[in-house]
Amino acid sequence: MTKTMAMEKMLNKADLAAWMGKLETHQLFAPMLEDEGVWNYAPVVKAADVALDQPNTVRPPKDFVFPQRETLYRFEQVRGEAPVLTETLPDPQPSVVFGVRPCDSRGLVRQDIVFTKEFDDPYFQGRRAKTIFVGQACKVPPSPNCFCNSVGGSPSSEDGLDLLMTELDGKYHVKAVTQRGADLLAKGGALFKEASASDKAAVAKAHESAKAHPQRPIKELGKVAGALKQNFDSKAWDEMAKACIGCGICTFLCPTCHCFDINDEVTCSSPCKGERVRTWDTCQFPDFTMHTSGHNPRETLGSRLRQRVCHKFQYFTENHDMPQCTGCGRCISLCPVGIDIVSVVERLGQP
Amino acid sequence: MIDVAAIKAHAKALLEKGTVRAVIGYRNSTAGLLAEPFVFTGPESVDDLIYGPSCVQNLALYLVNDKKERAHHKSDDARPVAVVAKGCDARAITVLLQEKHFLREAIHVIGVSCEGTGVVDTKKLARKLGGKHAVEIDFDGGEAFAVTTADGVQSLPAAEIMAERCLECRGAHPQLADIAFGEAKTDRALHTPFQAVKHKMKEEQDNRWSFWARQFDRCLRCYACRSVCPMCYCEECVVDSIQFAVLPDTTAEEKANRIKWIERSPNRSESAMYHMVRAIHLAGRCIDCAECERVCPVNIPLRLLNTRLEMEAFETFDYNPGSDMNAPTLTSSFKDTDPNSFIR
Amino acid sequence: MANVQETAKDEPGFEPKIVAFLCKWCSSAGSDLAGVSRLQYPSNAVPITIMCSGSMSPMFVLSAFNKGADGVLVSGCHPGDCHYLKGNFYARRKIYLVQKLLQFIGLENDRFRMSWVSAAEGVKFAGVVDEFVKDVKKLGPQTRLKAKR
Repeated sequence: MTKTMAMEKMLNKADLAAWMGKLETHQLFAPMLEDEGVWNYAPVVKAADVALDQPNTVRPPKDFVFPQRETLYRFEQVRGEAPVLTETLPDPQPSVVFGVRPCDSRGLVRQDIVFTKEFDDPYFQGRRAKTIFVGQACKVPPSPNCFCNSVGGSPSSEDGLDLLMTELDGKYHVKAVTQRGADLLAKGGALFKEASASDKAAVAKAHESAKAHPQRPIKELGKVAGALKQNFDSKAWDEMAKACIGCGICTFLCPTCHCFDINDEVTCSSPCKGERVRTWDTCQFPDFTMHTSGHNPRETLGSRLRQRVCHKFQYFTENHDMPQCTGCGRCISLCPVGIDIVSVVERLGQP
Repeated sequence: MIDVAAIKAHAKALLEKGTVRAVIGYRNSTAGLLAEPFVFTGPESVDDLIYGPSCVQNLALYLVNDKKERAHHKSDDARPVAVVAKGCDARAITVLLQEKHFLREAIHVIGVSCEGTGVVDTKKLARKLGGKHAVEIDFDGGEAFAVTTADGVQSLPAAEIMAERCLECRGAHPQLADIAFGEAKTDRALHTPFQAVKHKMKEEQDNRWSFWARQFDRCLRCYACRSVCPMCYCEECVVDSIQFAVLPDTTAEEKANRIKWIERSPNRSESAMYHMVRAIHLAGRCIDCAECERVCPVNIPLRLLNTRLEMEAFETFDYNPGSDMNAPTLTSSFKDTDPNSFIR
Repeated sequence: MANVQETAKDEPGFEPKIVAFLCKWCSSAGSDLAGVSRLQYPSNAVPITIMCSGSMSPMFVLSAFNKGADGVLVSGCHPGDCHYLKGNFYARRKIYLVQKLLQFIGLENDRFRMSWVSAAEGVKFAGVVDEFVKDVKKLGPQTRLKAKR
C-alpha cells in the first residue's frame, strides 16, 4: 500500500445517496433493519434510506465472500454412462458493501488467509474480486462487548477495506485504501471535495477519541497463545462450558469462522443428478468431529469451547502470526447463556 | 418478595451436607445483563448464586445435559442433583419425568415462584430505556423491576418489560418442588393464554404463508432453538447424522441410501421442514418457556409456531403439558371424543 | 424470493401428484378392490403402503411436500376396526395436529387430508381420491414447501 494511493476526500452526508446513484454498475448493499434490533446487510433499494450509524449487523459481511451455501459443481448421469460434472464457479455481479465495521473488515483479512494462503479457493476468490468493501469507522463502540483494541485492531482500522468512511458533523471523510476504492471514489466526481489539513486533523482526532473509549480488555495479548497451550488440559474448560448449549451462534456469526461441510444434494439417485454443495459448519456441533467409526474426539462441550477459543487465540496465531479474533463481540452478545470469550481468555489465556 | 438469601442458604446446606451432587442455578454473567446458568459444586461457590428477573434460562435443559455428561464420564455418584426451577422450568422437569428421562429421586427441585412478575425481555427493556444501557435488574416489590443504568436506579412496571411468555403464563408457581420459595400467586390477570397465536390465526392464509416464508428465509440454521430446548433431547436429531452406524460391513449403497430428511442448505424449504418437525415434536411437550424465541439471533417468532399446537392440546384435547408426571403423554393417548369430523 | 405470487391456479393440463399413505389392512386393500372392480378414478395418487395409520410419521407428510407432492392423503381403518386395536386413534390425534400446524404456517387446507376407508370400500376409495384430485387441481401446483432444486 503506497502513500500515493492514499486519497482523502470529503462528502456531505446529504450527498451519500447521490454518490450511490452514480454506482449503477455495482449492486449496493448496506445494513438495514430486518427485524427489531436485527440489522443485516441487504440490497440498497432507496439510497436515501441508508443511514450508516446503526449498530453492527447480526450477520458479518463474510456472507459476501463465503456464503452459507455454495454450489461446488453439478452432476448428472445418463443411464449407463459416467456422470458428467459441470463447474459452477461463481460469477457474481460486482457489488459494493457499505457500513462495514473495522472489526469485520479485519475478519475478511483472516478469511483471505484461509482461502488464499495455502490453497487458492476459486469460489472465495471469485466473490472477493467482485466485492468492494466500504468501511465505517466507529465513533463509539457499537456494542458493550466490543474489544477490537484488545486484539490489535482499532475502531478505525483500514485492514481489508477498499474505502474507509468516518463521520464528522454533517460530512463523511472518505479515504481510499486500495486502487479499486479510489476508482469508486472517482465515480463520485464533484460530489467529493479534497480533504483539507483541518479535516485531516479532525479525522485523526475522531479516530483517537474513538480508540479511547473503554473496551473489554485483554491484558497481555502476546502471551495468550502460550498460556492457552499450557492450559490445554485444564479442568476449567469443562467448568466454563457448563452453561454452553452447543448451538452454532458464536461460530456462524463470527466474522472469522470459516469451517464448512460438503454434502451432495441429490435430486435423483439413479441415474444420479444433483449438486455438491458446501455449507457452513461449526466445531460446536456434535457431528463436526464425528468419525465414521463412531468415535467422537470432541464429545464434550468443554472440548468444543476449547477448540473455538484456541483456534482464535492459539492455533491461528501460531500459523499466521496474528490472533484470529477481531473483537466484534458478537459471540458474547448473542450467546444465549452468556459465555464470554474475553473472560475465558482472561482465565486461561494469561500467564 | 422472593428471599434470595434463603435460597442460597438452602443450596449451601445441601452441598455442605453432601445430599446433592451439585446445584444447578444462576450466577451473574460477564457478557451482559442476563444471568448465566451455572453448576455449583462446592458450598463456597454458592455465594455467587443469584435469583432475579435476569434469570431467563430454563434450567431443565441442564438436567438433560447433566445426564449426558454423566454418561460420558461414567460417573457412579448416585446422589441427586438440585436445580433451581421457576414455574416454567418445573413444568419442563415434569414433562421429562413423565417421559422417564430420569427418576424423580435423581433430582431435588428448588422451586422459585415468579410471584406477580416474571423474567425480563431484553428487547422490551431496550425499547423502554431508549438507548440507555441496563447493567443490573432486580425485583422491586411484587409488580415492578428495579433497573440500574448509568443514570442510577429506576423502577419500571414489570408488566411493561416482562417476557411475553410470562404475561401469558398459566403457572408461575412451580407445582413440582421439593422446597418452594416465594409467594404462590395465581391471580396474575395479565394476558389471556394463547393471545398471540390466536391473533395470528385470524390472518388470511396467504398472508400467514408470506409471514412464515420470510421467517424461514431468514433462518441461519444455527440450531440454537433446538439446543436450548429441554425437550430436544433426541440422541440423534433429524437434521444431524451422528448416530448412523457405519460398521465394517456397511456397504456404500447403504451409506448412499441413508435417508436424508432435511438438507443442510439454509433455504426456505429445508428450514421450513426443520421448524415444522420441531413444532410437531413439541406437540403436547412444549411448556412455553419461549427460550427458542429468545435465543434466536434473528428474532424468528418461534414461540408463535410452537404454542400453536399447545393451544390445540389445551383447548381441543384438554391436555396441559407439565401438569402431571404420571399422566400419559398427548400423542400416546386418545379419547373417543377426539375430533373426527375432519376425516373423510 | 418473491415466490409467494407463483400460485398458477388452474394451470391447463395440470395433473397433481398425490402421495397416498394407505394402511395395509384396510385402505390399501380398499384401493386394490377399487382396481379389481374396474372403477374409473384418477391415477394421480401414488400409493405407499404403511403397516398402520398409527405408524404414520409426520416426517413422511412433510417430506412428501418437500419433494414436491401437490397433496398428501393418509387413509386408515374406521374407528374400532384397527388391526392393532387402537393405532388409528393415535393417528387421528397426530394427523389432526399436523393438519393444524400446516394450516397455521399457511399451506392450503385442501392439500392434506385423512380418510377412513375399509378393505370393502373400493367405491369410497375411488370417491375420496377423485374428490381430492379435483380439490388439488383447483389449487394448482404446490410451491410453498417444495424444495427449489
